[in-house]
Amino acid sequence: MKATRVFQLTALVLVVVSAVQVGWWLFDQHAYTVEKVRAARAAYAEQTAAAQALLDSGASPERVQQLLPGIVVSGGRAALAPELTQALTTEEHRRYRQYAWEGAFFMLALAACITVIARALRAETQVHEQQSSFLAMVSHQFKTPLASLQLSLETLTLRTPSPQAARPLIDRMLADLARMEQMVTQILESARLERGRVDLKSEPLQLAGAVARVVNQLEERAHQERISIASDIAPALTVVSDPLALDVVVRNVLENALAAVKGAGGGRITLTARASDGEVELEVTDSGVGFAPAEGLRLFQKFTRLRSGAGYYGTGLGLYIVRRLMELAHGRVSAHSDGVGQGASVRLTWPAAPAGASAAQAAGQELSS
Amino acid sequence: MSAAAPAHVLVVEDDANLAAGVMENLRAEGYEVSLTPDGEQALTWLTSHVCALVILDVMLPGADGLTVCRTLRGRGNTTPVLFLTARGDPADRVRGLEAGGDDYLAKPFHLEEFLLRVRAILRRWDWYRSASATADTAMLRFGGNEVDFRVFRARAWTGEAQELTEKEAMILKVLAEHAGQIVSREDLLERVWGYDVFPSTRTVDNFILRLRKRFEKDPANPRHFLTVWGVGYRFLTEGEP
Repeated sequence: MKATRVFQLTALVLVVVSAVQVGWWLFDQHAYTVEKVRAARAAYAEQTAAAQALLDSGASPERVQQLLPGIVVSGGRAALAPELTQALTTEEHRRYRQYAWEGAFFMLALAACITVIARALRAETQVHEQQSSFLAMVSHQFKTPLASLQLSLETLTLRTPSPQAARPLIDRMLADLARMEQMVTQILESARLERGRVDLKSEPLQLAGAVARVVNQLEERAHQERISIASDIAPALTVVSDPLALDVVVRNVLENALAAVKGAGGGRITLTARASDGEVELEVTDSGVGFAPAEGLRLFQKFTRLRSGAGYYGTGLGLYIVRRLMELAHGRVSAHSDGVGQGASVRLTWPAAPAGASAAQAAGQELSS
Repeated sequence: MSAAAPAHVLVVEDDANLAAGVMENLRAEGYEVSLTPDGEQALTWLTSHVCALVILDVMLPGADGLTVCRTLRGRGNTTPVLFLTARGDPADRVRGLEAGGDDYLAKPFHLEEFLLRVRAILRRWDWYRSASATADTAMLRFGGNEVDFRVFRARAWTGEAQELTEKEAMILKVLAEHAGQIVSREDLLERVWGYDVFPSTRTVDNFILRLRKRFEKDPANPRHFLTVWGVGYRFLTEGEP
């Protein structure tokens, strides 16, 4: 990485030096030509003067023209042959044209090189910055649950509380571990999505069942945080997706909703679904902290953490993963909120399973009813 | 603050688990503890409450910790601040202390070190307050300058009113308590900041330069804040003849 950079910088310097040299060479050639032309003209002027002197001293014009072939004599005056002046001017202009073409060509070529190298350098810097900010973000995210975990353990050591008093400490430690585990999962997941190393299946899946599995796992936590989850999804709705991707997507959206509602001090989350135009739409509505409407798109970018919820720590990768997985499943995702404190809703849309697939027959009935 | 009443500590931390752990331990040590989960709430709380120490997370929703601390100092509130943060490199530490923090602890931290630092900050402030409690010790006069330690204000020999930062006041206090004696840089660091907070003792030198600029007639040839080469400083109330 560093070696490439050194190499690129060296190349850039070399190219710039070459450009300067080409410029100098052009200047030098031009000056040389100007000097040569001037010398030639001076020599011709001397010849003319010598011819005139010979004529004045009584030499015959024939004799003078024989001695100085470039001179023509007419009416007792010596002059330079017009074709000589002409040839000199033509040669002079030819050289100037040549320099202009050659110079322009080299300069263009070098400018192209500089552009290419500078672009590569900039792109690399960007990637580097992104990577280091990824690392910085991710490692800082771990510091808080780690600190909490260490604090709990050291409290146990320092104070040796009764088993009863130790219970909340242990619960906190388990929660910290769960949090870190979730973060690791998200980081790995997003790295995998980034490299495009995902092989998603496309099979008809019952939406209600997939949602129920995730809700069951999160229900106890929701209860502790005074959050009610109500899900009302017709069992007949069937989507085409990858079973794991469906689970990850629903889980991330629900986790996000839980965090938002927790930030508001409790509330409810409602899951509803409907079928339309060969698609199935799942809407997750929460009564949480919400977000400014303009943030709706930014939410799905990497590392976006609105941090509007107290006690919410995330990698900023959750909804990014949702978006990427939905794209890969030929679905869509969007989020909406009327503003901070107004709750929010996330809408997930998948292609509906085609009629004919055994699991999808029910969906077809649902559509026609 | 009387010795009998427990010191009141405000914890500003948005992570519920970490906050719970910190609060439990502070309570176990006999402190009275309050919690606010975000920066703006902390600032509001501090307008209507007095506490002995603020434990301040740097990354907070609302206003971040550095902003909270700067705002607090801007209001003339000198309550000591201990920063807790995920970022622990020297540059971040310096930024925290420049914002007016008293100490800086990087996450994850050791419980005993945390409690030790809390105790150390409170002790330093206890010392400063008790050392400035009587009419005799509250004021310092030297070379036409007048310093009031209780309100962190001074009047320079020029007649100009000066607002001292708490660190400047503390350094001045330590030097004044040992007037005529040599005080090493390390002693100043330990008394005013607690050990190992700053990357180097150069910081002390910078604070002395600031004090000279405020109070010396000719800061380049000081008569009150004298450098003792290779050791530290000596403060003279009368001025060097």
